[in-house]
Amino acid sequence: MNFKHKYVFLLPGLIVLIGILIFPIIFTVRLSLSGWNSFNPGLDFIGLKNYIRLFTDDPRFWQSFFRLSFLAITTVFLQYIIGFALAHMVWKDIKFKRFFRVLFLIPMMTTPVIMTVIWRTFFHESLGPLNDFLSIFGVQPPWLSSPGLAKVSIIVVEVWQWTSFMFLLMLAGLLSLPKEPFLAAAVDGASPFKKFIYVTFPLMAPISIGAIIIRLIEASKIMDTVFVLTSGGPGTSTETSSFFIFIKGLREFQMGYAATASFTYLIIMIISLTIIVKVLTKVLMRE
Amino acid sequence: MSLLLDHISFKPTEEYHLNDISLRFDSGKMYTILGRTLSGKTTLLKTIAGLQTPDSGSINFEDTDFLSIPVWKRNVAMVYQQFINYPHLNVRDNIAFPLKQRKMDENLIEKEVKVAMEKVGLIGFESRKIQELSGGQQQRVALARSLAKKAKILLLDEPLVNLDYKLREGLREEFKKLFNVSDESNSILIYASTDPLEAMQLNGDIIVIDEGKILQTGTAKDVFENPATAKVAEITNDPAMNINKCLIQDNSLIMNDSVQIQIPDELKSVPNGKYLVGIRATDIFLDDQGFAFDVEISEISGSETFLHLRNKNLKCVATIEEVKTYNTNEVVKINFDKSKIYLFEESGELRHSPYQQ
Amino acid sequence: MPKLYTFLKYFFVVLWACFVIAPFLWAISTSFKDFNSVTGGATYIPWLQFEPTLDGWSVLFKPGSQGGINIIGPYFNSIFVTLTASLISIVLGTLAAYALSRYTFKAGIVKNNDITFFFISQRIMPPVVLSIPFFIFLSSLGLLDSLAGLILVYIVLLMPIAVWIMVDFFNRVPREIDETALIDGCNPFQAFFKVVLPNSVPGMLVAGLFCIIFGWIDFFFAFILTFTKVQLLPVKIVALNSSITPWWSLSAAALVSVAPLIIVAFIVERYLSKGNLSGALK
Repeated sequence: MNFKHKYVFLLPGLIVLIGILIFPIIFTVRLSLSGWNSFNPGLDFIGLKNYIRLFTDDPRFWQSFFRLSFLAITTVFLQYIIGFALAHMVWKDIKFKRFFRVLFLIPMMTTPVIMTVIWRTFFHESLGPLNDFLSIFGVQPPWLSSPGLAKVSIIVVEVWQWTSFMFLLMLAGLLSLPKEPFLAAAVDGASPFKKFIYVTFPLMAPISIGAIIIRLIEASKIMDTVFVLTSGGPGTSTETSSFFIFIKGLREFQMGYAATASFTYLIIMIISLTIIVKVLTKVLMRE
Repeated sequence: MSLLLDHISFKPTEEYHLNDISLRFDSGKMYTILGRTLSGKTTLLKTIAGLQTPDSGSINFEDTDFLSIPVWKRNVAMVYQQFINYPHLNVRDNIAFPLKQRKMDENLIEKEVKVAMEKVGLIGFESRKIQELSGGQQQRVALARSLAKKAKILLLDEPLVNLDYKLREGLREEFKKLFNVSDESNSILIYASTDPLEAMQLNGDIIVIDEGKILQTGTAKDVFENPATAKVAEITNDPAMNINKCLIQDNSLIMNDSVQIQIPDELKSVPNGKYLVGIRATDIFLDDQGFAFDVEISEISGSETFLHLRNKNLKCVATIEEVKTYNTNEVVKINFDKSKIYLFEESGELRHSPYQQ
Repeated sequence: MPKLYTFLKYFFVVLWACFVIAPFLWAISTSFKDFNSVTGGATYIPWLQFEPTLDGWSVLFKPGSQGGINIIGPYFNSIFVTLTASLISIVLGTLAAYALSRYTFKAGIVKNNDITFFFISQRIMPPVVLSIPFFIFLSSLGLLDSLAGLILVYIVLLMPIAVWIMVDFFNRVPREIDETALIDGCNPFQAFFKVVLPNSVPGMLVAGLFCIIFGWIDFFFAFILTFTKVQLLPVKIVALNSSITPWWSLSAAALVSVAPLIIVAFIVERYLSKGNLSGALK
């Protein structure tokens, strides 16, 4: 079908989206070429100075980026394994199936910052239930004030929050699978393990890729949990790219430099996500 | 009044979907477009309906340029092979939909819907939901909707193909009656089909299409008896006519080194050389004195058995008028009805038909 | 082997259920505590381990002048912003998705898939990257610290979700239904509104649910783009975090704010079990 009416369907949404975004995007690029800060607010032009500073003289930005990569990949990996396992477990025969399904869906419905506020009290060194429990074993780990454990805390909260989303995508995928391959496997007398390796997993490969990509995109924006749980600390040990930009731009008011970091971060994100999509498709779709 | 297609071409990708099609459809007549899956039948119907715009060519209907009229003003009707209805409306509202769209008087709509429902035998189902109907009933609703419209052009895209055998036979009989009735309305009826038998039964003019190109047009009898090319012979027979390379030499027809037959008198004038020989599956019969062939596949269809046979590089399909199970690699002896042999040039054109004068 | 598997299955499922439910139980328990019960160390069971009070809850509904937190205003702000932005996103997203699913677009090398990707790819944009220019953008429009400004930003957040789900939905609706409507005398608009839309309610409900979820749980834009006039629920609650940490009212407020979306979990599960969601999320 090809009628000119098609533009009336497409354009309102497209124009609204572009209309809202075009200014911020152009402005970010322009801002990244300026030295706008709290002493010197305004769109002057300083060329690529900000970029040179970012690439040659700012290990903190790159550390925050690699930390983000580590956190995103770790959490999404855990979410995928656990979410897929849970979905597989409540897919078919299990008692209280619908109860478990609802329960496992709940975390993604809750506001991350608000739940993180609760988690912060949960992890509290002296007043929280976690260390109350661990004191049975005679340990009181400083969950939020040691660099290593603070990262663990963030991973725990992220996994708690977003495994449910992975669970939802994987369960929806499992429920939409065709029945025939499983019947064939049953006729062949395949063991549950073999059935999973040779039937379920290959059938779920495209859905897995989609789910992992969606979660990686969302995880690359990790910010809310860090903001509430550790504020990037102790020191800068849990600072992610988003949080770094937030500090530079909206706390230290180095707007120009923050825009440089933003733009660089966005470009790296798009490139790495494209590469990850390619690699994942190759690895998971091999069979 | 007639519908004229003039050099219509449509090439959305590398391949032609419609390749230089010129056709004339007269009102009050019925046409069957016969072609294999993806041969361009649906594209042709959609082009006539206005759902697709051809890249070049023109369509003329009642002396107006049809291409300048958008689909929603063309007053055509179309029934798809999938059972397409409006899932959110009940049976009556489905049939009334095009009439309401035309802002027809309510009482008149009521009357027309009733007439259409009677024709297709749906009385009593008025307020049923579409999802509650069987496939055959859903297709009846679609048919009733297109009949109620009294469209000047009625397009039917393999309307029976997704029904089971018995239902298909029954509904086809009803179709023929309906068409005879609608003849009075002077509409043009175009029926697309992949099934040669169906095309013969409908007994309208046949248009054979393949790869977006018209191969032959004519009456059912004409196309069946005198296929213009070997391709047409394949398309218009089910199972497809057996087409094999052969050599004619000194009054014998050589298919391979062991299958050679004496040619009948009417072929004696054909000069020696390479040809294609065509034999219908029904013109091959079991004969103890015949040629030995291996059975590759045997399938039972109704009261007949299809044998896929092989003798070295020579392959053919035979229809045996009985139900019998053959084992794979079993050897059967067969012969060919010499009086029914077709001969095509190597390029495909018909050289000789047993029905030729 | 099957026995061991069944045991492990139940073990793991129950374990995860405990993990999921732990912060909620902790929050419920804490919300009934007072200063002394909190600072005395971790306790769980009311009456047995601490004396429950309703202070944490009552303070939520008192206005600020009486030492309360008053989350009612922010609550309605959150509902209003989420619903309005979701509605606009669904309407515009559904229209665009319909066009992308049914019609062919071509402008140079840009084709349907590229336009769809453009819509969906807006999810890649980290909020912080947009927040700085948005801050300046909205202040130049005079929309800083206003509901309208937030809704505008939330549309960027939510329309990709609506387009993503609806393109997929429309791709699975036979296009012959639209074509039949056109043949039956509908122009493309009538075909959409009279035939396609009434049959798209399931898809739009799923898209709506997801817009509501992702609108409701957002924090950062509201945090950057509003100050005092307009406050959304998450901002209000996180603000409590930085004050002297009244854990009891914090917990109560948190529970109140996550409660409505827990109903959504039940709806989503219903959809899943009926099979309506399976296709929509693939």
